[in-house]
Amino acid sequence: MLTYRSGDSLAHRLDPRTKLLAQAAFAAAAFAHTTPSGLAWLTVVALAFLAAGRLSPVRAIRGYLPALPFLVAAPLLSVVEVDVSPGSGAWAVGIDPAAAFEPLLASYRVLLILLVSAVYLHATPVRDTRAAIQRLVPGRVGRLLGVGVALVFRFLPLLRSDLGRIREASNARLGSERPLRARMQLVASAGIRRAFGRADRLALALRARCFAWNPTLPELRFERIDAVGLLVALALAGATLLGP
Amino acid sequence: MSTETESVELVGEDVVGNVARAALFAALTGAFAYVSFPNPISPVPVSLQVLGVFLAGIFLGPVWGGVSLAFYLAAGAAGAPIFSAGSAGFGPLVGYTAGYLWSYPIAAALIGATVHGFDGLDDPETVGTVRLVGGMLAGTVVIYALGTVGFALVQNVGLVEAFAVSALAFVPFEAVKIAAAVGVVRSDAAAAA
Repeated sequence: MLTYRSGDSLAHRLDPRTKLLAQAAFAAAAFAHTTPSGLAWLTVVALAFLAAGRLSPVRAIRGYLPALPFLVAAPLLSVVEVDVSPGSGAWAVGIDPAAAFEPLLASYRVLLILLVSAVYLHATPVRDTRAAIQRLVPGRVGRLLGVGVALVFRFLPLLRSDLGRIREASNARLGSERPLRARMQLVASAGIRRAFGRADRLALALRARCFAWNPTLPELRFERIDAVGLLVALALAGATLLGP
Repeated sequence: MSTETESVELVGEDVVGNVARAALFAALTGAFAYVSFPNPISPVPVSLQVLGVFLAGIFLGPVWGGVSLAFYLAAGAAGAPIFSAGSAGFGPLVGYTAGYLWSYPIAAALIGATVHGFDGLDDPETVGTVRLVGGMLAGTVVIYALGTVGFALVQNVGLVEAFAVSALAFVPFEAVKIAAAVGVVRSDAAAAA
């Protein structure tokens, strides 16, 4: 699983806002230049990003392992062509390897985007991301999003272990033999009861501690080093606009 | 550098309760990504995320159900491992899963609007089964329509191929999830709401 690791690499020292912009610009450039030469250049940029965060490509790919079957399946399936003749209703299956070319490029583009977002996750503490969201999205909407993000991080492990215990208890009582619908319903209704219980206690605690719209967040400051990051983001954005 | 200097501005009473519930439902939807059941027709197992979307719409209504799933997307982008199979980051929001993920807040809001209308929340237990199922069917259509179109655009394949790879093996289980959601609403879990 990809999570934040403390460090002092270039990517660690950049402001989270710079990193978010660079990521978005990279994705835009990858969509604008899905050609062999464009993707070759973007591969170099992605490798540079990985180096800037001192993250090994293998670890980055391992973080997105569950995505790989889908990235492989799309080009594979587009090789197969089914022709149905409208008159007789007869159909024939053909193989056309050339049809896989474009989907293959598209899959590779998504892989590059995933690698770049792995660098962000590796090099950015959650508190900084929350602060960046609250500064980038203006007004109360941004603050609400920031609070929501922080609470999801706080409660995800608790609810995961709640659900784990529910399933364990059910399996111990041969719940695994029951039909799928009954098993889903059991996990969901017990999960909802826990979630509502926790939400009510959380709301009470927030009210008791004067939950305010203006919390104290870590300071974010653009340093000189961010100029480099912003230039890279700008170059990628420029490349997007230039077209193929 | 930016710091806050103005005086403390308290969040309103009912907003606090709703924010807490929305955030907990977002976390629950994320935790549902880890509850997987073996899929007899695909190597990729069935997870319960979509059930989280259904329940957020039903229990939180159109506004806070949508907000809850927006929390889910923002937290996932910030690095919480809550997207399918425990992935996270900005990548999934623009990758082949983009259509599915962005459809979640829309579907939750649509289900909430169908079940509750726009004039405040009804007790989900008093809502008729037809309305519940209708709302969830509409939500399912939105999720798979946007998901398939998103997959086709990002992966550069036709709509039929996109549906075959990303949706076909999972659609039948949505009926089971809808039935499970109705069961949840009719069970005593709803009494806690």
